[in-house]
Amino acid sequence: MNNISLSHTWAMRLWFLALCAVIIFFHLIPLETTPRRWAPPDLLIAFTLAWVLRRPDYVPALSIAAVLLMADLLFQRPPGLLALLVVLGCEFLKNRSGSLGETNFVVEWFNVCVVIAAITVLDRLILTMTLVDRAPLSLHLIQMVLTMAIYPLVALVTQSILGVRKLSPGNSDGLGTR
Amino acid sequence: MAKDRSQRDDYTTPLRRLLLGVLCLCLLAIFLVWRIDSPRVERFRAQVTDMVVPNMSWAMAPVTGTINLIRDFQSYQRLAEQNRDLRDELRQMQAWKEAALQLEQENARLLDLSNVRLDPRLTYVTGVVMADSGSPFRQSVLLNVGARDGIIDGWAAMDGIGLVGRISGTGDTTSRVILLTDAASSVPATIQPSGQGALVAGDNSAAPILDFLENTDLVRPGDRVVSSGDGGVFPAGLLIGQVAADPSGRLRVRLAADYERLEFLRVLRHHGTETISDPGDIVTPLEIRNTAQSGDTPDE
Repeated sequence: MNNISLSHTWAMRLWFLALCAVIIFFHLIPLETTPRRWAPPDLLIAFTLAWVLRRPDYVPALSIAAVLLMADLLFQRPPGLLALLVVLGCEFLKNRSGSLGETNFVVEWFNVCVVIAAITVLDRLILTMTLVDRAPLSLHLIQMVLTMAIYPLVALVTQSILGVRKLSPGNSDGLGTR
Repeated sequence: MAKDRSQRDDYTTPLRRLLLGVLCLCLLAIFLVWRIDSPRVERFRAQVTDMVVPNMSWAMAPVTGTINLIRDFQSYQRLAEQNRDLRDELRQMQAWKEAALQLEQENARLLDLSNVRLDPRLTYVTGVVMADSGSPFRQSVLLNVGARDGIIDGWAAMDGIGLVGRISGTGDTTSRVILLTDAASSVPATIQPSGQGALVAGDNSAAPILDFLENTDLVRPGDRVVSSGDGGVFPAGLLIGQVAADPSGRLRVRLAADYERLEFLRVLRHHGTETISDPGDIVTPLEIRNTAQSGDTPDE
């Protein structure tokens, strides 16, 4: 039983990396070469937060850091900054969800919104402090709001299609069989 | 079982905290190193892109093709009105074609009269666009030619018609083109009939701003904007676009290159414009004086 659950955990960790690779792949496809007036939601962050809140053991901090650092490098962002903020945000959410225990979805969504807003604000703040060129504020705000708005959908996909559910104390035997 | 796990978590918590701290410090260090020594980290970034993106190209080409196919299919729905618009446009174009033919003949005559030779060193390498910047905040594309093909940072990239951007960051087999629309891009330009110098500065919108104009009154919407070659940035005379005024009256450049579909880009080989350092040699050429003294017959 223990052996099966361990290999399952590793499989799900690889699943997460594969999912992120697919998202990065679709970002890089050369479809939009004209500047846009709006920014699409950051699915990478949304999926990471959804997985962290469902099953923290599937997304260790190391894999979050690796994925986001790679995204930083490939998307021409300042390397390391967003990765650092997302790792910190995920740790915050892990602690919160551990202390809150069973909560309904609205509370979870609220927490996620707070974290996304904090990531955006801190990102801009640090970039301003280190005198790096920033993208227009409107683009960042649009992206932040859209990421918040799409989170329920992402959570639904995570839960129903990808099969990442919270581990309740009642049905711990669901661990190996999904 | 669940209790079991939580106990294990308690046991490993201090170690986990420590590792997490180390991880965060590493990320912070990467950011600070990038801030302090940007060129080195940007080179590293170019190498990472060089390693990763070509591996994706086998999947990227068919997916891009499929999505473009679907988009084309959607445009069939507007076929009738498109047809009408095209017919109108064609009628206008015929008038233009007539004018162009006359101008071409005139141009050829004038070139012949003045014995102009176009710069023979202006050759190009053509590359295929592999990927875009992947983020809405940056405007750049990745080409499949790199240092292996002799690409050097700073060269100009054009599509068939106009300037698209400049090479910034070369890997072994890939190179990144910062587009003119990117906020970090600014190119010295000349506005054609009046000869005004200006700077075409991108601001993340489809039409870059015309900055540092000497005299705004001499410039009108519709004037041609070409690169001036100032500072040795680009070869002079590459077409950038046309002047246009936005609703607030600010002068912008409507780009000549087709940014909707960037597929093939030409990278112009540019070896710098020669600078004249010694004025005395121009007045009396050194070689003629030497050959006259030694009595050799000059080749020319």
